[in-house]
Amino acid sequence: MRPPAPSAASSSSYSQREPRPENPLLLLPSSRVTKLSLGCPLLDRLLSGGLPAASVTEIAGESATGKTQLCLQLALLAPQSPLSASSLFLHSDLPFPLHRLRRLAPKSRPDILDHVLVAAAHSPTDLLSLLARAQRLLANPGRSPHRLPIRLILLDSVASLFRADFDASPADLRRRSALFFQISAKLKELAYRHQCVVVVTNQVVDVLEGGAGNTVAWSSGRRVSPALGIAWANCVNTRLFLTREVDRDGASGGARRRMKVAFAPHLPERYCEFVIRRDGVFGVEPAERLERLECAGGLRSSYIYQHH
Amino acid sequence: MGEQSGAQNAWDMLSDEQSQKHITTGSGDLNDILGGGIHCKEVTEIGGVPGVGKTQLGIQLAINVQIPVEYGGLGGKAVYIDTEGSFMVERVYQIAEGCIRDILEHFPHSHEKSSSGQKQLQPEHFLADIYYFRICSYTEQIAVINYLEKFLGEHKDVRIVVIDNVTFHFRQDFEDLALRTRVLSGLSLKLMKIAKTYNLAVVLLNQVTTKFTEGSFQLTLALGDSWSHSCTNRLILYWNGNERYAHLDKSPSLPVASAPYAVTGKGIRDAVSSHHKRARVT
Repeated sequence: MRPPAPSAASSSSYSQREPRPENPLLLLPSSRVTKLSLGCPLLDRLLSGGLPAASVTEIAGESATGKTQLCLQLALLAPQSPLSASSLFLHSDLPFPLHRLRRLAPKSRPDILDHVLVAAAHSPTDLLSLLARAQRLLANPGRSPHRLPIRLILLDSVASLFRADFDASPADLRRRSALFFQISAKLKELAYRHQCVVVVTNQVVDVLEGGAGNTVAWSSGRRVSPALGIAWANCVNTRLFLTREVDRDGASGGARRRMKVAFAPHLPERYCEFVIRRDGVFGVEPAERLERLECAGGLRSSYIYQHH
Repeated sequence: MGEQSGAQNAWDMLSDEQSQKHITTGSGDLNDILGGGIHCKEVTEIGGVPGVGKTQLGIQLAINVQIPVEYGGLGGKAVYIDTEGSFMVERVYQIAEGCIRDILEHFPHSHEKSSSGQKQLQPEHFLADIYYFRICSYTEQIAVINYLEKFLGEHKDVRIVVIDNVTFHFRQDFEDLALRTRVLSGLSLKLMKIAKTYNLAVVLLNQVTTKFTEGSFQLTLALGDSWSHSCTNRLILYWNGNERYAHLDKSPSLPVASAPYAVTGKGIRDAVSSHHKRARVT
């Protein structure tokens, strides 16, 4: 049951109808599907159910920390989940990892790739025109009856879009900032009007000093912060930080990986350890990590490591 | 209540006659520097970096304004204008639960089912008394603020209007910056008039940005020049190490001051280091 929302056509013009308040009771989770599960009870517990619709969630981390893997996993979960949705995968890093997607796809559902739409974004203005096209697609779901409605939008990654055209002059930073807000406003509008889950991945930059507690973390021995600064941080609702730390005790099976909630309007700051396996990204209890790397499947009782 | 002499907790302050005109923030320390809480008839700007707790405080105020008069509150309703999807209902529910738990703890002879005509102490009732508007563009924001006067005329029990947050949709490229300034000035005048006319608190949440001034980048409130004159009070939320602090930066009558606060599962509360004594329910 969706809240009453103005039609997409009125979004950019002055609406002659009076604004109408919504009743928050109608927005309670029991009223409709509002979260996309990550396919793992531990990660879902960290996120209080999964990724929320009508909201922009950022997944930030160094390269090879699992960002793209998570995006691919989500794209494949969406059609099978209560969300029952197709996804729009916008990628700025080339090429799109099709082989990884195929490897992750369940053998029992060969049709599942039909529900993943892929488009390449080469620049911020490119992305904005892709989002305009997406808006038309979302507003007219009847035109593609064989495909589930799009309710998941993934952007991998936002940082790559802004690598080339901007230098560090104040004027360019202002211009870049203005684009952040334009992109974010569009993503949030799509998220709200069509009850979509929006995920944006981001890279990290080294930080020498300063930075608030929730924006800086240690990863691979570096002190890092999500890229694109405080301006972009203002543009996302939820920020998840993926970090990796090579175990001091060399006998372990590999890096210790953490998914940390840096900030979220509905979640406390806490983290969960996870592993990246052939079949996806899964949360683990700290003690279980070594066994998890070896055994095939089956997660044990959910328990979240609370970090305060 | 076993308090140390001279130290009040937030609930003691609520029972003072004067606090009827203030909305408690949930933190005694924060209420202290604010002279009791957020003031009605005034516009208060609250700014801070992402994650420091602006939305948490906005939601807390939208809940606390509803605390019934018999428990020391204003017994009012709230308008919450959400400009970027920060209003997560499950969190609002949690904060409502936390508020109700504290009410019942301090007024142990009350019941969850109050007599007819009085507000029931159920989270669903607190949620239902928030008029929630979601806007997706600056034109929708202008429309809703213009509509507010009519809406408030028809809903006289609203005692707080929260805009979360007021500058997001104005930070895109505006071809005509002078127009943007005129629009923002118009909105701020309207909001000041609403606060006075309807005797309610207007709370404007704002983002922090880096501004290049005098040769270096400094943290400042977004579109500060457009808003700075129109807000009666300004509260800056910031991190001091791993602790959250609020700094009263502008006030017609109160001194500039800082106070720590915490964001807990129940909502905004005193920091662990606070001198305010109160039973903490975990």
